[in-house]
Amino acid sequence: MKETVWVIVPVLIPVIMGIFLLFMKPSKSRKTLLWITAAGLFVTAGLVGYVLSLGDAGYTLFYLTDTLPVFFRVDSVSRLFVSVVTFIWICSGLYAFEYMKHEENNKRYFGFYLLVYGILVGLDFSGNLVTFYMFYELMTLLSMPLVLHNRSHEAVMAGLKYLFYSFFGAYMVLFGIYFIYHYANTMSFTAGGVFDAAVLAENRSLLLAAAFLMLIGFGVKAGMFPLHAWLPTAHPVAPAPASAALSGIIVKGGVLGIVRVVFYIFGADFLKGTWVQTVWMTLALLTVFMGSMLAFLEKGFKKRLAYSTVSQISYILFGLSVLQPVAVTGALLHVVFHAIIKCTLFLCAGAVIYQTGKTKVEELSGIGKQMPVTIWCYTFVSLALIGIPPTSGFVSKWYLATGALQSGTGIFTWLGPVVLLLSALLTAGYLLPVTVKGFLPGNDFDYVSLQKREANGWMLMPILLLTICAVALGMFPNSLAEFFAAFVPQLM
Amino acid sequence: MAFVQNFPFFSIVLSMFAGTVSSVLPQKPAKYLNTAVICIVGTMSAVLLGFTLQTGESFTYMMGHFPAPWGNEIRAGVLEAAMALFFCIIMLLSLLGGRKKLLGEVEITKHNLYYILINLLLSSLLALIYTNDLFTAYVFVEINTISACGLIMIRENGRTIEAAVRYMIMSLLGSGLLLIGICMLYDLTGHLLMSNIREAVAQIVAEGTYSMPLLVTIALISVGLAIKSALFPFHSWLPDAYGYSTVSSAAILSSLVSKGYVFLLIKIFYRVIGFSIIRESKIIDVLFLFGLAGIIFGSLSAIKENDIRRMIAFSSVAQIGYIYMGIGLGTDVGMIASVFHIIAHAATKSLLFVAAIGLTDVSGGSRKFIDLTGAAYRNKVAGVAFTVGSLSMVGVPVFAGFISKFLFANAAVYNSGKMLPALVVLSISTILNAIYFMKTVIRIYTPAKTDYPCITWKQEKLYAVTMVLFMILNIILGMGSQPIVDLIQQGLSTFA
Repeated sequence: MKETVWVIVPVLIPVIMGIFLLFMKPSKSRKTLLWITAAGLFVTAGLVGYVLSLGDAGYTLFYLTDTLPVFFRVDSVSRLFVSVVTFIWICSGLYAFEYMKHEENNKRYFGFYLLVYGILVGLDFSGNLVTFYMFYELMTLLSMPLVLHNRSHEAVMAGLKYLFYSFFGAYMVLFGIYFIYHYANTMSFTAGGVFDAAVLAENRSLLLAAAFLMLIGFGVKAGMFPLHAWLPTAHPVAPAPASAALSGIIVKGGVLGIVRVVFYIFGADFLKGTWVQTVWMTLALLTVFMGSMLAFLEKGFKKRLAYSTVSQISYILFGLSVLQPVAVTGALLHVVFHAIIKCTLFLCAGAVIYQTGKTKVEELSGIGKQMPVTIWCYTFVSLALIGIPPTSGFVSKWYLATGALQSGTGIFTWLGPVVLLLSALLTAGYLLPVTVKGFLPGNDFDYVSLQKREANGWMLMPILLLTICAVALGMFPNSLAEFFAAFVPQLM
Repeated sequence: MAFVQNFPFFSIVLSMFAGTVSSVLPQKPAKYLNTAVICIVGTMSAVLLGFTLQTGESFTYMMGHFPAPWGNEIRAGVLEAAMALFFCIIMLLSLLGGRKKLLGEVEITKHNLYYILINLLLSSLLALIYTNDLFTAYVFVEINTISACGLIMIRENGRTIEAAVRYMIMSLLGSGLLLIGICMLYDLTGHLLMSNIREAVAQIVAEGTYSMPLLVTIALISVGLAIKSALFPFHSWLPDAYGYSTVSSAAILSSLVSKGYVFLLIKIFYRVIGFSIIRESKIIDVLFLFGLAGIIFGSLSAIKENDIRRMIAFSSVAQIGYIYMGIGLGTDVGMIASVFHIIAHAATKSLLFVAAIGLTDVSGGSRKFIDLTGAAYRNKVAGVAFTVGSLSMVGVPVFAGFISKFLFANAAVYNSGKMLPALVVLSISTILNAIYFMKTVIRIYTPAKTDYPCITWKQEKLYAVTMVLFMILNIILGMGSQPIVDLIQQGLSTFA
């Protein structure tokens, strides 16, 4: 590992620029604000790229106590997550340039937007559990202003709900960290786990309980049943670009936490075949089904997408819970694809709301005639999320299903794929009505007063770019698959 | 004997002397004298700390020329010096932060009285830290009580007088129990000096006689000091006393006075009775349970509270619970965690009290949450400081509170019998803390249309500087905790 201070630069730059924006004089024009934001986003992206090119780099910032360093390290999982974060953050940020025009407090929005970006990069680069926990808490706190941006009573209540659920989860994690600190050799993430086999055998039930608590704790952020209720409340009340970032990225913080804890702290072998794995798989499948069902029943457009996130993130969790290389590859692929797809969906929903003010699905009949580009993009990514070849969702679900079938986890080998399939049907059921009604509004639709209401370039460009990625990554998944093949087997 | 070894004695006498002189001084000179005395005592403690760290051992200092076992002794080691230094810092910052408010709340003619009380309080706290003699400890406990009462009462409105009376009654009950305990100990051992009592107690225990009286003694002393430091369920005096007194008083009372008693209790446990005997006596199990109950009930009461000052006060009940929980774990690691929490909590709680006053001042003096809406925009420094304090209380890494929580958890894991209750309560209380502190932070950052005036840092430079220093102190404790923990460990090892 190469010690280099460059690792923390992309963490610090957006944080500093975000703070600068927050404390900037309110008299500065919106243009200045946007220039600074854009500069922050792209400079950081460049720095992230540079750090990734350094290879196996790390940096110890300082020591909290003798045995607790705040330590950063760039490994394959960091690379994956930080690339996704950077891509989504730039797309959603540029989209917000137009979307936030008519909202108040742009300064605060973009300030916190940059801050959270830095924190997320820090989260992805964290090299040990304590550093990770620190950034995890900061992520919760700093992303909250994005949730309650418009300060209505509903938004503040949603923000509080988000905060309390997240804290509750974080403290379950902390609870687990206490045990790990006591029994493990180190808190640094090491592929395959950090425990001595003897220690694991001796304190088996205790450490299993700790692992379980940490799974549930991180599961809160990832919207896993039974602590998922904050997600459908908090995501829809945020402004659309923030919802996109929250649903696409912030929830992945929980996923990253689970990946780190399971594969880099406890080790997959320790959990294989235990009650923890069984419960985890059950909860994940339950959430997949329940989320889809609730999305199917939901009337609000953005809320429906939020329920969809609940369901889709649990696809990822199910893939991880199988503890089998192919399924884990599928899960990590789905991290990438879901981030792109869900971001696009929310941005499309935002464009519709921004142009027409309609928030209910049933009001959207004929929308495809008004905003054809947006709705075509929506349709493509919907197909991708359902998993129709050759789009990206098909690839990840293929890996997930084959992984589950090869896993030898008893009833789950076939139950998993069945639930995934059922849920895919439901996904079609809740996403496609918008398209169908949008393009085929029926005879009683008032064609006379129809107007083109397409969103402008700032909003369309990110949507188009994301849609192209969502489809293209499904057609050419080989480079991604090679990337995973290089490190996933080492995790097992 | 090195000249530095006189410093503990000098500090105590200097602050007492300053108290006496203040009675004939006008308001301003009394104020400056008080600040100067705190600074001088702080400097002396710092020098003493350097000296004890260099020599690496503690020393006893004979008062007058009566040798043990008759004389009166002071003892100073690393931990004592560090505590004295830290108490001076907190006291200075609390006074600076509340100075402007004091002008508004206390009659101008009473100001020198206020500084007399502060000086006496300082001297008694120093005496509690340094004394090696149980009877001296008792005398200064009383001085401490009386000056604390004065500090609560000095606003002279109905609520504070009521609060002071409550405090007086509870506190005197506590000192009464302590006195009976000391008397019984004297009866059993024939000594008042801590080291001599310890030898005698060890002998008694070895012979197996007087086991019941000894147990009663330990119980009396523990309960007496627990009442005075507001351990649940003896905390009923606390919310009013902290909630209605003037802000510097509240900050000093919550962060120093109650901590002085806890420190005395730790000292008695280690130096008078012997920690192994205490551990066998099961009294610490009771303290442990009360600590746990205090953590939960303190936090629950804080959640119910609709008054920001009383909310912070109730949070103190919970934090005192943490300290007793650490003591109750009965291990040296637990004790280190407790002592660290004494420091961390003192730094955070005084910060919160002083920040809260900045917020209420820009909300028309109201402390109800509804009026505090958006207060952080009207007084930005106070808003940021309150947020920092809240995050520290909740236990977010980088701030002091995280380290003490971490130390507690780590200590709990070492005690297999008490591990689960301690850890469970620790996590529950963290969530409860998050509920009421984050609720407040969101409240003060929710914009509101009000016609309350805004205050910039330029208008109140002293306040702003104080808040910044408080925040720096908190972050230093959070990021550079290791030297402090090492120091506590070294100090406690010389106690035994």
